[in-house]
Amino acid sequence: MLIRNKPIFRMRYDQTFGLLLISPWIIGLLLFKLLPILASLVISFTDFQLLTPEQTRFVGFDNYTRLWKDEAVGYVLFETIALGISTIPLQLVASIFLAALLNNPRLKSGNILRTLFFLPSIIPGVAIFFMWFGFADPNVGWLNKLILEPLGLTGFSDLYSDGAIALLFSISSLWSIGPGMLIMLGALQGLPPEIQEAARVDGAGPLVRFFYVTLPLISPAIFFAIVINLITIFGGVILLDRGNVFSGSYSPYDGYVSYMLFDKLDLGYAAGLAWFFFIIVMFVVVALFSSARRWVYYPDRDV
Amino acid sequence: MFNMAANTSNRKWLEPHSHLSLQLWETIGTGLFNLFILGILVVYLFPILYIVATAFMEGPQLRDRNAPPYPSRHTRLEYEGRDYPIYNVPIDGEIRPLALVEQGRTSSQFLDPANPDGGLITWEGNWRQLKGVYHFHMTWDNFSTLFRSLAIPKMLQNTLVMTIISEIGVLLSSIVVAYGFSRFPLPGGNLLFYVLIGTILIPEKVTLIPTYFFFVRILNWQGTWLPLLVPFFFGNAVFIFLLRQNFKSIPKDLDEAAMLDGAGPLRILFQVILPQSWPTVITVSLLHFFYMWNETRQAALYLSTSRDLSPISFGVQNFQSLAPIQNQLQASALILMIVPVIVLLVSQRYFMRDVVVTGMEK
Repeated sequence: MLIRNKPIFRMRYDQTFGLLLISPWIIGLLLFKLLPILASLVISFTDFQLLTPEQTRFVGFDNYTRLWKDEAVGYVLFETIALGISTIPLQLVASIFLAALLNNPRLKSGNILRTLFFLPSIIPGVAIFFMWFGFADPNVGWLNKLILEPLGLTGFSDLYSDGAIALLFSISSLWSIGPGMLIMLGALQGLPPEIQEAARVDGAGPLVRFFYVTLPLISPAIFFAIVINLITIFGGVILLDRGNVFSGSYSPYDGYVSYMLFDKLDLGYAAGLAWFFFIIVMFVVVALFSSARRWVYYPDRDV
Repeated sequence: MFNMAANTSNRKWLEPHSHLSLQLWETIGTGLFNLFILGILVVYLFPILYIVATAFMEGPQLRDRNAPPYPSRHTRLEYEGRDYPIYNVPIDGEIRPLALVEQGRTSSQFLDPANPDGGLITWEGNWRQLKGVYHFHMTWDNFSTLFRSLAIPKMLQNTLVMTIISEIGVLLSSIVVAYGFSRFPLPGGNLLFYVLIGTILIPEKVTLIPTYFFFVRILNWQGTWLPLLVPFFFGNAVFIFLLRQNFKSIPKDLDEAAMLDGAGPLRILFQVILPQSWPTVITVSLLHFFYMWNETRQAALYLSTSRDLSPISFGVQNFQSLAPIQNQLQASALILMIVPVIVLLVSQRYFMRDVVVTGMEK
């Protein structure tokens, strides 16, 4: 009667073997994440300088009071938040829009189009950097000559001004929506057609269907895309490691930490800055995940 | 039946003659929709054309503001052992391509290329305001200059070797770990899995200083590939997540059937689960491939003094410090991007297929 041999099944899928299987990740977690994070915390309570490591002293919360008074910290933090606020919604809307277009059954050769829209996301960051600065160069580039001037707009004269860099960054952030777009596309393709059909029969127009039926149903994908984009801004490493190709690092804050690290060689302070940011990131992540309960739809939530 | 027929008869668009026009509208609508998407695509990819066009341009074209955007040369007329640039000259109410023989601020002398023996033509006006005549001309010189100043083949080889080694490491470890997460009971229930997702969110800078000291001072790995490669052998959290979601979607019945036949857990992984999840495995390996082709930051930390170990992306990034002119810079960008672009186009049928990531749900 019992065809499935339960005891053997249990024996094979035992906890010890499972732990053995995930042991590479656990070792990596200890070596490359947990221990370094703790070591970073310890360093942040010292005045560790790269050139004079033997003079390192324990300084308590000095680095943290210093960053609290450091005006540059407030500035780069504000810039980082502004960067997130200006690029993440742009990337989200663009990726949903493109995914909705590419999911349309009327589309011919959707596969190759999908790939071509994904293409900019796999071009190495260095090449993208060269391209945008060349493209927008006032003398040899195309932005002024082929786009702005024919449209009757005044072109850039100074590429290195703050406004121009911010604009370039926003435009170029549209060039890394590939993963987000594919996540949305996957979610759209996974939607059961009956729900759309039912809403249509009830007299809902295409826009109403999109905003009241489709969007709530793909909210898990939207949540996932927000997380991915946030991590990119925060300086984590995910999917395609592109980051902020313009400053050589991910965000203004990240750039400031790099500056303390590689130019000032002030490791103690850099560790304090990194840890401070780590706390902010954790705070944002916890806020995001707890907000998810309210707006992310899970069909079979059992948690 | 009858009811339906009655219903449709008073709907004009279902009558035979207008039915045709409905189909026509469908075709036009579909056509316009596809054109619309093609238009967006052209705008979206337009800046790539800048790389391609500029990489094949000669230096003088970059300094010429009137030159067309495609690689070109100013057309010249050869006459009696000398050559003269040809300009579009508005003369006698029409625009004629004429070769500039003598430049002048208020009047210049021209030759007609169609009839060079016909003598000089005088035109009143500043020759600098004239637009030149150009013809398509592309050069490979930028690439030969680039190959002379950078060890491109060596750097490509470095990146390729690093990609292959780390690919093996990251695939093996991520697959095995994902299998553990998808099928085996683990202590703490889902806690370890949440930790896994949590590690994705850790900013890199917070681990950077101790990791650097660990690699450089304790293990003495400065100037080797080891700091760039070894971490991949401990799995990549994103890949583990993607693979685990995919493994979970494969019914356990097959495992159990194989188990009854006496297969061990590893045999089940390689003979039952992996054959069904190859689209995800291919996607993960491609993501890693693109990542490695893009890698500059670890190289900047550990390989900045060892030029002959430099990966292509880092080498091209450093090329910028030589302040090359724009066409060589774009040529280097083209060399850097061509391999991942070809790989994407070749693998597009498999890339990201069936990888439906619907979120952080279980």
